[in-house]
Amino acid sequence: MLQFFGKHGISVAFVLCVVIFSLSTQKFLSTDNFLTVVMQASIIGTIALGVTFVVIGGNLDLSVGSLLSFATVLVVDLHDKVGPGTAILLMFVFTLLIGSINGYLIGYLRLNSLIVTLGMLSAIQGITLVYSGGKNVDISDQTNTWFAFFGREALFGVPVPAIIFIVLGIILQIVLLKTGFGRKIFAIGGNATASLFSGLRRNRLVFSTYLLSAFTTGCAALILGSRVMGSQNNVGEGYELLVLAGVILGGTSLLGGSGSIARTVIGVLILAMIQNGLLLLGFPYYTQWLVTWVVIIVAVWLDIAAKRGKLFSTY
Amino acid sequence: MKVQINPIRTFQNLGKVSLLAGSIISLGLSGMAQAETFRIGITQNNVGVDSYQTTYEQAFEDAAEEADNVDVVVLDAGGDVARQISQVRNLIQQQVDVIIIWPTDGQAVVPAINGARNAGIPVVVTNSNIAEAGQPLIASFSGPNNIQQGAYAAEMMCNQLGGEGNIVQITGQPGYTTAIERQKGFEDRLPEVCPDVKILDTQPGDWNRAKAQRTMEDFLTRYDNIDGVYAADDNMGVGALNAAKSEDRAGEIIFIGATNFAVGYEAMARGEYHGSVYQSPAEDARNALNIAIAVAQGKEVDKMSYFDTPKITQENMDEFEKPVF
Repeated sequence: MLQFFGKHGISVAFVLCVVIFSLSTQKFLSTDNFLTVVMQASIIGTIALGVTFVVIGGNLDLSVGSLLSFATVLVVDLHDKVGPGTAILLMFVFTLLIGSINGYLIGYLRLNSLIVTLGMLSAIQGITLVYSGGKNVDISDQTNTWFAFFGREALFGVPVPAIIFIVLGIILQIVLLKTGFGRKIFAIGGNATASLFSGLRRNRLVFSTYLLSAFTTGCAALILGSRVMGSQNNVGEGYELLVLAGVILGGTSLLGGSGSIARTVIGVLILAMIQNGLLLLGFPYYTQWLVTWVVIIVAVWLDIAAKRGKLFSTY
Repeated sequence: MKVQINPIRTFQNLGKVSLLAGSIISLGLSGMAQAETFRIGITQNNVGVDSYQTTYEQAFEDAAEEADNVDVVVLDAGGDVARQISQVRNLIQQQVDVIIIWPTDGQAVVPAINGARNAGIPVVVTNSNIAEAGQPLIASFSGPNNIQQGAYAAEMMCNQLGGEGNIVQITGQPGYTTAIERQKGFEDRLPEVCPDVKILDTQPGDWNRAKAQRTMEDFLTRYDNIDGVYAADDNMGVGALNAAKSEDRAGEIIFIGATNFAVGYEAMARGEYHGSVYQSPAEDARNALNIAIAVAQGKEVDKMSYFDTPKITQENMDEFEKPVF
């Protein structure tokens, strides 16, 4: 029983949330609302896909919130100056550049990831402010640009942000489970020393996980920039913790070595669903924080309990 | 390495010495300088973090340039309370005539303001007010009247709806004085002018357009009968507009904000957005400087020196320039 909850606890929680909200308000269980939830989860979710790799590899990335602000401001600002195509290209170049700085410092210089990315969090926010001079940026012609595709359009009735999120999730799940690269990430996160003696190039692997989280953050910036058609300088503030909450809720171990993309997706969806559901029920905003907290604690508890085979610790 | 220097102590002692020296000199000079030039120091909150504050600083310097009887010392605390407190201390040492402060934190700056007062330097608070405890210490508060702005928004909403309808409200960051006051002004005024307009729901948008857009999507799912949206600023108002447009429901909804942003102004020009309150950072800065000069001249000033933040709608928007932020 406990083992079952430990292994599938997150899925059970997901179903439970759906059932509770559906019973409470008939607005909740509709295709439209479900797609809205997936779309609302897509920005945090897309980032969380990359961050899951970082965390499985035994590190943290707290810079993604600032990086999202930076990338969104950059792509929106450049849109009017050099056109959407070049803007997107340049945005990815600079975002990956910052990701590679993280990767170099943590992978090759072996600095502590918490400290490096915490520092990077402020540094990138600073760069964003210097770049924009503190001004909000906007896309002037919001209707006649193909940039609207990423955040505002739908294919076969499914919003494009949701498609980006889910397709990227499927690809990365396959990469994680079915390729040598994925297994090596598990190995370095599970036992760094053993993986080193097995001939794995830890530095290069860690470097690539940060490149990956920068890439998914860039994808999220595309969605956000296109959805809002503008950006504030601090638009991604606090996202790093929401992303981490989604990853943890999905059962990825903060110590590295275990985790799953599919469960991260479910974790992020649960968080978005709680927000959406409580608002539909008309609860005041602070209940969202309380309920989110309870769900995370229970999920982590069940996870630990399943590993040790008991609900309560005996010592 | 046994020598320890307490920089703050040293600083304070230096301050006392220079204060003493300063008062001796000014004693000697008093009566000499007739065509008086005032020195006014300002410590701002966080220039560069948004366009409002950037424009404010520029306008303040321009206004000081134009006025021939002031020299200004312009400082910026970078959002850091500790730095702001030491800047106030610096300005006290420089013996400016008036200190203008844009509080980084309405509570934590109160002792610094008290220090200025003890040194005989009057303090004008600009843009956002300080805590209740500090009120007796200041000469004046210069800034927008957020309660009035909320009330204006209620009147415009009432007008546009023709007296009845269902609306939703998107507020600013919970706990923020500006957010609280704009909500209060709106909620107090609305039943007075339009008892038949009902607020269906209120949720925070945290001054964030993306967040407001998300909140509005959920409102649209929940309610089939939304006639109006009141957002505490245009940034969030435009987020709500985005959400309504993607559901093809923007046409049936009135959008009112409480600070006009460039995006709101443009949406108004397109006929999609209906009303807001025009708050000019330049006017904010000029008002603060004028009040400070009046204080320096020893004139009586109002404790609450609000500057005008008029209503802006599609009808009268030609009278206003597009906001810079």
